Amino acid sequence: MTQRLWALFRKELRTLFASPIAYIVLTVFVALSGVYFFQHLLNYNRLLFVFQSGAISGGSFDAGTIPLQVNSLNDLFIPTSNDLSLFLLAVLPLVTMRVFAEERAQGTDELLLTTSLRPWEVAMAKHVTTYLFVLLMLAVSAIYPAAVVIKSHLGMEHLLALYVGQLGYGMAVAAIGLACSSLTQSQIVAAVLAYAIPFLIIDFTWLHPVLSQGVAQVLDEFALQSHFDSFARGVIELRRGLYFGGIIALGFTVSVGSMEFARAR
Amino acid sequence: MRFLSAAGLVTILSGLGAYYATEQLSWFSIVNLIVGPLLLVTVVVVEIGRFRGFTGASSRRVALRWGLGIAAVVAASLAANLLGMRWHSTIDLTVERRYTLSDQTLLICEQIAANRDTEAPSLLFLEDALMAKEVRPLIEAYRGACPGLEVRETRATDAPPEARALLSSADATVLACQPGRCELAGFPSEENISNALLRLGRKRHVRVDFLVGHGEVNLASENEYGFSGLAGALRDEGIQVAALVGAAARAVPKETTVLVVAGPERNLLPAELAAIERYLERGGSLLVLLEPGVTTNLEPLLGRWGFELPKGVLADRAGSPLLEDPKPTSLLLRSYNPFHPVTRKLSNRTLLLMPGARAVIPARKPRPDDDLEGLVFSNRSAWLEKDVVAALADRAIAPDPDEPLGQELPLAAAGRYPRARGEARIVVIGDRDFASNRLLLALYNRDLFLNAVLWLAEDDEHISLRPKAWTPHQDPFTLQQTLAYFYFLAFALPEVLLLLGIHAWYRQRGA
Repeated sequence: MTQRLWALFRKELRTLFASPIAYIVLTVFVALSGVYFFQHLLNYNRLLFVFQSGAISGGSFDAGTIPLQVNSLNDLFIPTSNDLSLFLLAVLPLVTMRVFAEERAQGTDELLLTTSLRPWEVAMAKHVTTYLFVLLMLAVSAIYPAAVVIKSHLGMEHLLALYVGQLGYGMAVAAIGLACSSLTQSQIVAAVLAYAIPFLIIDFTWLHPVLSQGVAQVLDEFALQSHFDSFARGVIELRRGLYFGGIIALGFTVSVGSMEFARAR
Repeated sequence: MRFLSAAGLVTILSGLGAYYATEQLSWFSIVNLIVGPLLLVTVVVVEIGRFRGFTGASSRRVALRWGLGIAAVVAASLAANLLGMRWHSTIDLTVERRYTLSDQTLLICEQIAANRDTEAPSLLFLEDALMAKEVRPLIEAYRGACPGLEVRETRATDAPPEARALLSSADATVLACQPGRCELAGFPSEENISNALLRLGRKRHVRVDFLVGHGEVNLASENEYGFSGLAGALRDEGIQVAALVGAAARAVPKETTVLVVAGPERNLLPAELAAIERYLERGGSLLVLLEPGVTTNLEPLLGRWGFELPKGVLADRAGSPLLEDPKPTSLLLRSYNPFHPVTRKLSNRTLLLMPGARAVIPARKPRPDDDLEGLVFSNRSAWLEKDVVAALADRAIAPDPDEPLGQELPLAAAGRYPRARGEARIVVIGDRDFASNRLLLALYNRDLFLNAVLWLAEDDEHISLRPKAWTPHQDPFTLQQTLAYFYFLAFALPEVLLLLGIHAWYRQRGA
């Protein structure tokens, strides 16, 4: 079984990296992150300059002092981390849309399913390959938050917490995309669903004005972004991990279930 | 269909974008957020034919099985999340362990849990607090560590009636409330929140009087040698602070819980000394801070209560290299009496910084029932430098070769004196500046002073180690660093990745 899984896994890796789409996605992700990081850097330096020069306090007794809330963690590290998570959301469906749907459109999934391979083995190989790609994206982009961590002495452990959160978040978004891809043979439909579902559950604060407080709090427990924030603050919480784990398990189950349908049909 | 799906996405993004940009749910956002999902649903409904057939006879059993499987995964995830919320488990990986609650907060939580049947305090985080970016992990930390405390996020309009009077303050972000009473925490930090809980739970009134008129430090002074920070720290814990003009008062007031004499530079009047003696005889509490090189008539009084105060300043080459401004007289201390309530919580991992201190030796008990102990001790490499002028003027000093090294010399000592009218308590610390504005928040200096006051006030249950103040990093990136990041991150790295993509594309075409 291990050998079959390994062979499937190698095949998926070859398919992913033989196509230029992986590199284009990586390039777009890194370029977007870089430009936005640079923008945050400029804003942060500008903010420090404005406070140090006393331009905001208008020459009062606290002229030249920088408020505690203005610091590299709040104004550079956290916005950069949030950007990375949003960019993951923006580019991952481009990778996941083709994973199952393309095979289905070309009919190669039928070939796979007529062999002795079990659907869960096929789904596992596809999921693990995609998660590895998420890991690669995060590794390439690690340079932005790492620069802030080193300069601001936030500690490598803080960076580790962020990346545990980013990985959980990225894997959850990828699992949703893979589940969507397994349900259809149209890559467009898979992409639309892979964008729509995470966008719908990313954050519910926009609904707060029209909801009661209790309902808003319950709804927030299902929001993707609220589960990511504490990792960016340097705290690993068990329940956040369980939330991401739940989405990943659900995505995998839907993918396997969808393949079982194909076999039963 | 492609146009409809793209249009659906664009309208959703526009609606969310408008909401986040304006932070208001305007009509534009509402219309977009309704139309967008409708378009996407239309696409899915029309394209349903592309989905797998769910209705085939052969797949009905599979559908049932996998439907149940998916339901089981959802149920298991929800159950795991609920359990995760109940058994709050976190790993704090911040350098300063900012979200690991301090010893003081945990002690307060224990006391709340012990009294939960009689009092039910609650912590209200108002909307303004929730705006602060770092508050969310703090809320979770309180929820996890304080099972007896109700932690609520609430709108100002939903706050209880007893909180209404406090809500006009600009600092009204977090409130600690009990039925009938609320305390304001100010900026949502652990220190402020725990202090508010402490004030709320304090049952006994404690008043600390600082004797003035003999060159003692100024309680109101905000300069680096002033004690305004210390006065603020005492008030934050619900302790009343007042100045006592010794020459004007015939006696130490009855309301005084602790009398502090913080580094007098001139002799006290005989009447003042007599008043202090009478105060101690009736079971009063006295905290004395001394400075090396300064001699007053307070020393004979302390001598009668068993303290020996040798002349000189303590010097130590071992500790000072760790400091930015290395001087043999700047002492880093880590040796404490592990049995005394004042220092029981301090250990060799919790250092004190004293810049120029003298020895305070618990020499002889006035009566057999009295108890006299050292609290804080120097390193074994320290010596008592007799040339105080040279040492404090930063001239070269060295240990006397005839004097043996290797002793831990006490710098602070405490005494308990049971008397007919009550138990007198005295703490003498051989440095004054460790509690000044410049050094109060350095290492564990604040804890030593506040714990000494609490012990003297017989309020041992609140003796603890307080949350450390967080110092944010506010260094700018230089122009060179910024440009280097820009070229490397925004151009060089994407360029390499794009070249790899082109290479893969050519290989695919070739194949």
